[in-house]
Parts: sequence; structure tokens; C-alpha cells
Amino acid sequence: MAAKAPDSGGSGEILPITPSLSETTSGVTAASQSTQPPSSSSDVDTVYVPSYSRWFSWTDIDDCEVRSLPEFFNSKSSSKNPKFYIYLRNSIIKQYRDDHPRKISFTDVRRTLVSDVVSIRRVFDFLEYWGLINHSSSSSAKPLKWDEKSAGDASSEPPTTVKETAKRICNGCKSICSVACFVCDKYELTLCARCYVRGNYRVGINSTEFKRVELSEESKKVWSEKETLQLMEAVMHYGDDWKKVATHVTGRTEKDCVSQFVKLPFGEQFVKESDSEDSLEAFDKIKGSADLESGGSDKEGSSPNKRMRLTPLADASNPIMAQAAFLSALAGTKVAEAAARAAVTALSDVDYEAEKNATGDPHRQDANANSGGDITNSERAWADAKSLIQKEEQEVEGAIKEIVEVEMKKIRDRIVHFEKLDLEMERSRKQLEDMKNLLFTDQLNIFFHTRKARKSEDRVDC
Amino acid sequence: MKALGSSGWKGPVKFRMPTAENLVPIRLDIQSEGQRYKDAFTWNPSDPDNEVVVFAKRTVKDLKLPSAFITQIAQSIQSQLSDFRAFEGQDMYTGEKIIPIKLDLRVNHTLIKDQFLWDLNNFESDPEEFARTLCKDLGVEDPEVGPAVAFAIREQLYEIAIQSVASARESRLSKKGRRGSDHGSASKASGLSMDLVKLFSFKSSVVRKRKDLDVYEPVVDLLTSEEVDALEAREERHAR
Repeated sequence: MAAKAPDSGGSGEILPITPSLSETTSGVTAASQSTQPPSSSSDVDTVYVPSYSRWFSWTDIDDCEVRSLPEFFNSKSSSKNPKFYIYLRNSIIKQYRDDHPRKISFTDVRRTLVSDVVSIRRVFDFLEYWGLINHSSSSSAKPLKWDEKSAGDASSEPPTTVKETAKRICNGCKSICSVACFVCDKYELTLCARCYVRGNYRVGINSTEFKRVELSEESKKVWSEKETLQLMEAVMHYGDDWKKVATHVTGRTEKDCVSQFVKLPFGEQFVKESDSEDSLEAFDKIKGSADLESGGSDKEGSSPNKRMRLTPLADASNPIMAQAAFLSALAGTKVAEAAARAAVTALSDVDYEAEKNATGDPHRQDANANSGGDITNSERAWADAKSLIQKEEQEVEGAIKEIVEVEMKKIRDRIVHFEKLDLEMERSRKQLEDMKNLLFTDQLNIFFHTRKARKSEDRVDC
Repeated sequence: MKALGSSGWKGPVKFRMPTAENLVPIRLDIQSEGQRYKDAFTWNPSDPDNEVVVFAKRTVKDLKLPSAFITQIAQSIQSQLSDFRAFEGQDMYTGEKIIPIKLDLRVNHTLIKDQFLWDLNNFESDPEEFARTLCKDLGVEDPEVGPAVAFAIREQLYEIAIQSVASARESRLSKKGRRGSDHGSASKASGLSMDLVKLFSFKSSVVRKRKDLDVYEPVVDLLTSEEVDALEAREERHAR
């Protein structure tokens, strides 16, 4: 099983974490009885392993081990092989469990293992990180690296950077305001973001009279163990109802709960299947804003299961546009504008690619036109410019082709010419040879003749 | 085997530990603020240098030593590593050496005495594997013995590697351009190594002579606490 930080058990159980966590605050014990492990008196005997390390087995090596400690598995050296890794890992864990619950230190381990110390340290750190050794309440809240960032995170990011001071109560819905408030000084009203968007204020007031006020949070950034436990229990029971979750977790607002929940390493596991499509749409921000316009029916299918289905403040009965408006109100105008622009840019990138293959699809351009109002014109111009560039490129390519052909022809002609010259040369050389031969034969003849002549002269003389 | 003499010359090898893993034995003995910290372990020189400080901090934290030890430990490790690296560029001749490795160490309550032959030319040798097997076969219960054995073997191999570098340098300086067989004999003259040709010629047998049997046998002793104290006291007296 591929072990990302949590593996989805589906049942949403926490494997027995160390007993100290099961001591919850009194208000919660009743609700949590069913999910907590039976309060154990056998502290010393049982070793607890966090659920995200369920993959561990004495004889096997899991993928996350291969990923985190590649040095043992890349066969670069003959002695750093998986068997050696298993020896190190099992010895460390055995040693820890022999002395449990005392924590084992790196020095204890490296003194007893036959290996170079840095390899031991890496395995030791890895095991400690995954809670297989030295696991205790203080270390279970450590966030693990997350492979995927969901699109939902992007939208909840702006809120997490905002802090809150005093808790403000909204005049409209009488709920605690988080993140941002809208304050109307004229009538001394304070509205939370949702009420502002919904127009939940008195008749005579214009929406422009409200001023957006960021709230800053002074409460602790660091979540204690107790709070994390409360949060997890609450989420398991109340699911997406973050109001109840916030009330369950003492001293934390809904937004805090959500952001902390997102940061938890095994957050995904405990999210119940959300039935409301709208909550999904709320956090498929980028795809959502465009897809919604072009056809909301395929929305459900497009959002993959793995995405975080966060519904911190979403109400299932809200219409889609109010949701988007609410989000933009939360995030602030500048952020929302930037986000929408980025979304449209990304979309038109994708669309332009498709357009190159299937030319001029008006439907897509309509989709482009629909998403984001005043940005479309510049987008169209930009698309036109791109097509012009394409045409020019093609022309340039054609021109280059022609040039190359002409050059080739020139070269061919020259070769032909040289061949002719070569032939000529051969011919003249042959002629020369023939003449030489003739000359030679002539010379021979003359020589013989002169010899004959001289001989006959001699004969005549004597 | 007959051709051993002629094939005895191996080209010079770049200095490294003649083992599968190029690990350096590091010995620490630091005294400061009235506390003494002695330790011995193996280090991989290809690990990044920041590991040294990380290791020093970890060790000081785990052993609850005063924090002045961190820099001293780190410095000691670094200097030993740089000594090792200084040798790394140079040539060494390993020749046809089979050397006897002696173990004579005391770890906590366990005393081990052993001697065995080690092929210096075998660059795939693994002292760690040997140590693990030794402890398993001899039923050594104390887990700290294994690393100590591996360390002792590595230390001796390191010494010999250094010597072969020194001798290679000497012979290169004294006899320029001589063939390698001379180098081989020069290093053999160190007296430690055994002459393979003699050992495996058909005149002698491979079976060990009876008088050597006791020497080459591993001996494991479990000491009582008093004996341990007595030995420690003696060692300290020797050290001073």
C-alpha cells in the first residue's frame, strides 16, 4: 500500500496513540468514548504506533522507506543493501521496544550497531519521524511533508495569514466574526463576511458604506496536544460542521480549526464523504469559476477524490455566485482579482493549445468570454497576437526551406561542372599519352634508320 | 597459482580503505571540564561536512556532556577526516598482501582475543559483516562488541594502507621508473605480510601448522565487575 502520511483506512480510526492522549477534557469524554481506545492501565506493556505508520512490518520494506532512504536501495555500494537496512531498522526498533517506554537516544543505538554512524543516524531519524521509535504525545502533532497541495489550500491561504484581535460579533447573524469584518461606521454595524455578501443588513444602507476590516489573531499559533485531539474528535463527529467543531475545541475559531485540520498529517482520512456538491465547488476555485459557467454538471466528476474537501464556512443552501462572492470578500478585492486573472490565464493557455489543433472553436472562446468580465478583451487580443506569431513562424520556416533548396541546387550544379572538367582533363591526358607513344615510336624508327644508314655508309666506304 | 610471481604486480591504486565501503575509523578522546569522553566509531567520508556538527550535537545531547564538547568533538572528527582526505589523492601499492589482523579488545565485560588473515587486495571486503558474524557465531550478547571489532579491523587496515602509501612514495623517490615487482618486495619487507608464493606453493600445505592453531583461534572471555575494574585501573596507569 502506498503510504502517504496517512493511509486511508476509511473507518477513520486513530490507532492507539499513547495513553496520555486519551485523557480528554470532561466535556468531550462522553462523545469520544466510542472512538478512543479503552483507557489503558497497561501503559508499559503496549507500544503504540501512530496510524500513519501502519505500513511497518519486520520483514518487508515499504515504499516510503525506499523514498526516504534511497541510499540503501540504489545498489551503488554492495554493502548498503536492503538486507543491511532491515538489520539496522529492526535492531533500532527492537532496542527501543526492549526499553520502552524509555526514550532511546541516537548514541545508544549507534554504539550497538555495526555500521558507519551517519547511516545509522539517517535510519534513526527516519524511524523517529514516523513514530516507530520514541513515539509519544509530544511528537504526534508533527506535520509531515505533503505530496499534493489541493486547490482548496490556495483559497484558504489568505485567511490563515490574517490575525484576529477581539472577537467581534456580527450584527446580522450574531456569530463570531473571523478573518474579515465589514464595518459601517455610519450606523455602527459590524457584519461578518457572509452577512455582508448576502445583504443581511438594514434596508437603508448601501453596501458601499461598509469598510472591510481585517481582523488579527493574537491567540497562540501553536496548537497544543489537547487541542489537536479535541479537533480530531470533533471533526470525526461533526464532519463538516465547523461551527460545532469550533465550539468543541475550546479557544479556537472555526477558521483556526480548519487551517489546523488542513495542516494535520492525517487530515484527509477523517473527512466524511460530503454530499453537497456546492461545498466541492467552493474549493475547486480555479477550475470551478470557469467550469461553472460552461456547464456545472461535469463539475462533480472533475474534482478528484484526493482533493481536500474542506468546507469551513460553506452553507449547502448557498447559491454558487454567493459562494464565489463570499470567497472574494474574504480574500479581499486585490487577491480575488489576481486569482481570477490567473485562473483565466491558465484557462486560456489550455484553450489556446486546444485551439491550435481544432481551429477556432467558438464554444471555447465563449467560455473564455464568460469567465471574468473585463479581462476577456485583453485575452482575445493576446490570443490573436499568438496566432499572428504562429503564422509568421510558419512563413519564416517556409522561407528557410526555400533558401536551403536553392543552395542545394547551386551545389549540385557545381558538382556537375566539376565532373565535366574532370572528363576533359582525362581526355587531354589520354591524348598526351598517345602523342608520347607516337613520339617514342618515331624516335625508334629514326634511330634504326640512322643505324642502317651508317652501316650502309660504312659498307660503301670500305 | 604458479603464475603468481609474474602477475604479482598490480598497478598503483588511488588511496582508499581496502574495503567495500570506504569508511574511516574515528577515535575520540576528549577531556574538558573534568569530564572525559572516549569513543570510537566509523565514519563515511563522502557524507557532507555538516553531518559532523550534527553528530557532535546529538552525541553531546544524548550523553549530557557540557556543550564545550561540541566544538572539540567536531574539530577532532574534522581533523581526522582531513588527514584521511590528504592521503586520498596519493597512490598506494597493495601488492599481494595477506596480513594477519589481531584483535585484543575489551568492551564492557567482554574480552575478545583473535587473530586471522585478511586479504588486503580484496577491495570488496567488509569488516562490518565480519564483525557481525563473529559476534553472532561466538554468542556475544553485548551489542557494543560488534562495532568495536569492526573498528579495530578498520583501524589496522587504515594503518597498513597509510604505510603502503608511504612506502610507495619512498620507492618512487629512490628508484625512479622501476617496475612494480620491486615495489611489491619493498612492501613485503615490512614484515607484516605473508608471502603468498611460499604459502601456496606445492611444497607446503594449506593446513595451518599446529603451533599456530592457538594463536588463530578466537577467544571470548566474560569478565566480572572486579576484573573489569582492575583492568581499567591498570590501563589508566599505563596511559599515564
